[in-house]
Amino acid sequence: MKFFDIIGMCFKNLWRRKLRTLLTVLGVVIGSCAIIVMISLGLGSNAALEYSLKQMGDLNVVTVYGNNNGGGVVVDASGSSKNASGAPPKLDDAALETIKALDGVEVVFPKLRLDSNMFSIYAGKNNRYKAQWIEIYGVFPEELEKFGYKIDQGQLPAEMGNKYIIFGSQAAYQFADTKRKNRMVWKEDKGDGTFTEPFFKPLEETIFLAVNNTKKDPDSNGNYQSGGRSYEHKLKVAAVLKEDYNKYESVNAIMLDMGFAKQLLADYNRLNGIKNYDTSYTEVAIWVKDLNKVGSVQDAVTEMGFQAYSMDSIRDQLQGQVVKQQMLLGGLAAISLFVAAIGITNTMIMSIYERTKEIGVMKVLGCFISNIRQMFLIEAGFIGFIGGVIGSIISIIISIVLNAVGGGAIGVDMYFGDTGKSVPISIIPFWLILLAIAFSTLIGLVSGFSPANRAVKISALEAIKNE
Amino acid sequence: MPFIEVKGLRKVYRLGSEKVVALNKIDLEIEKGEICCILGTSGSGKSTFLNMLAGLEKPTKGSILIGGRDIAKMSEKELAKFRQENTGFIFQSYNLLPSLTAAENVSLPLMFKGISKNKREKIAKSMLKAVGLENRMSHRPNQMSGGQQQRVGIARAFVAKPNVVFADEPTGNLDTKTTAEVMELMVRMCRKYNQTLILVTHDVDIAKYADRIVHLIDGNIDSDKRNESIVPKEPLEKEDGKTINNACENENMQAEEIGQ
Repeated sequence: MKFFDIIGMCFKNLWRRKLRTLLTVLGVVIGSCAIIVMISLGLGSNAALEYSLKQMGDLNVVTVYGNNNGGGVVVDASGSSKNASGAPPKLDDAALETIKALDGVEVVFPKLRLDSNMFSIYAGKNNRYKAQWIEIYGVFPEELEKFGYKIDQGQLPAEMGNKYIIFGSQAAYQFADTKRKNRMVWKEDKGDGTFTEPFFKPLEETIFLAVNNTKKDPDSNGNYQSGGRSYEHKLKVAAVLKEDYNKYESVNAIMLDMGFAKQLLADYNRLNGIKNYDTSYTEVAIWVKDLNKVGSVQDAVTEMGFQAYSMDSIRDQLQGQVVKQQMLLGGLAAISLFVAAIGITNTMIMSIYERTKEIGVMKVLGCFISNIRQMFLIEAGFIGFIGGVIGSIISIIISIVLNAVGGGAIGVDMYFGDTGKSVPISIIPFWLILLAIAFSTLIGLVSGFSPANRAVKISALEAIKNE
Repeated sequence: MPFIEVKGLRKVYRLGSEKVVALNKIDLEIEKGEICCILGTSGSGKSTFLNMLAGLEKPTKGSILIGGRDIAKMSEKELAKFRQENTGFIFQSYNLLPSLTAAENVSLPLMFKGISKNKREKIAKSMLKAVGLENRMSHRPNQMSGGQQQRVGIARAFVAKPNVVFADEPTGNLDTKTTAEVMELMVRMCRKYNQTLILVTHDVDIAKYADRIVHLIDGNIDSDKRNESIVPKEPLEKEDGKTINNACENENMQAEEIGQ
């Protein structure tokens, strides 16, 4: 028998029982629809999760905290990262080298925090504006971009040295007007979409920074004496960062070149006669290229004795929840497809009972049993196939409607508010459609397997029997 | 050498613990082109005999040689192939497939053989013309009378030019007038190509169309004699002669195409 003839016979048989075929196909449509939509929702919430995590912080970054509370604090003389016995290890250059050598680590980004009371910082004519409380960080500016800091205004010079500094987005609001009883202005929405401006425009002002002599008490205005000319610096603000609330330094801090920061730290300690001070880094951000290695890098750093933090653990946890949710929904969908499979088997068995005589006649007329088996398998497979195709089309429509109607992403919304908004709820990639159709067809074939075997076993004698 | 050779054929059914002997010991030889009627009452074993001749049932004992090959020893697949090439079957209740048109029903055996659609449609149509149903080609079985359906059945049985055609009470569901038409049609088709026809019936009137009448009683051959009062006397009657002749010419052409 020619293959096309087998298919033709199948169609004639399915067409002969239109309603029953339609109902059976409907079962598969519902089943495949349920599975596709569930998977698409799962993919959607996964994408939303990734998106939200990215909002919360860079997935590739492991942050290591040193045991340094800021410059100028006298610590135990034995405090060294190498032969510390019992004392916590130091996040110094040696530790940095060890971290750099870890598998997966691409770039390290150390931060050195200098305590705000070590310096007096002024801006404006006659030092009218004074920084009240501002954090100062030493960084390697060339790595800023890699670690997700974005520049809002200005641009980074090739060399920052001790001439240029970078302002956090709201660093300028930290300055008080000394002529008006230290009045300050905060960044506030004025109600018309614009914000209150700070007293000065950072990029246009010269910033005056003086190292404090904290051995002597401050004057009545709370101002410390500086150590003289060599302890005073006139600086230009090269750039203002875009604010990112996941990175404190991008908002309320000032960044200096690491070399300059170390020089200032040394200057302060010399001025104040402090000998054994800690030069280790406050914090090191590690950029790991391969997301799968983030966890192992974090573990390795923790083993070195540091506190380390990454999005990896929270990601695992959240993804675990999403997976659990998906499994539950997927399980329900699978049940409906399973019911559809039973429907196909039932339809085929019914069909065989009705066609017992026909099958006998076909055998008497010389039809190969392999052809009879193929006929039934193709009929069942076709029910699955057409169900899968219709199911896919309906799923795509459902997906479009869901994405148009629903706002944020299901499952992630509850954790992160509106962060999932720009991610579609339901994602149906092309492979999912192909997979669904192939799977439905397979379900049809599997469901048709036992009925087909039954059909093959029908004796040619059935043709002779007269009811 | 006879075309069909049955030797020591025995069939015993088991009904629970009881054994029912359907065929005791049958020896029979049928020549090529012979129209042989197996006559018997119900329970005589005639249907069992036909089933075994057609390879639908396996004998308990004995052998059935058709064209020198023992069909009792064939596998399902060999049997299907054998049926495609050698046998046609006419049923009492016509057994046309309800979802297919008359032409499609007739071309079914050719489809099983793997003959292309165009070719088999042509052959089927000329066959339907030969049985006088040229204006019923695309009717479905439920749109035709019993006599018409059986004529489609006859066309289907002869379409692949089989060596032997089995007919199981072919007129059992038909009235007297239609019975005569159908019987004459069958006999004529056989004669034209020297095809063997094995006709099973309980009706003595029908047996009169055969060359030879084998009478079965209780699983044994009671009598086996040539039919003296054979009808119709002449192979071709004047009235329908033209149609049949034309059809046969068509068949000639088709037979070459099928390659038999």
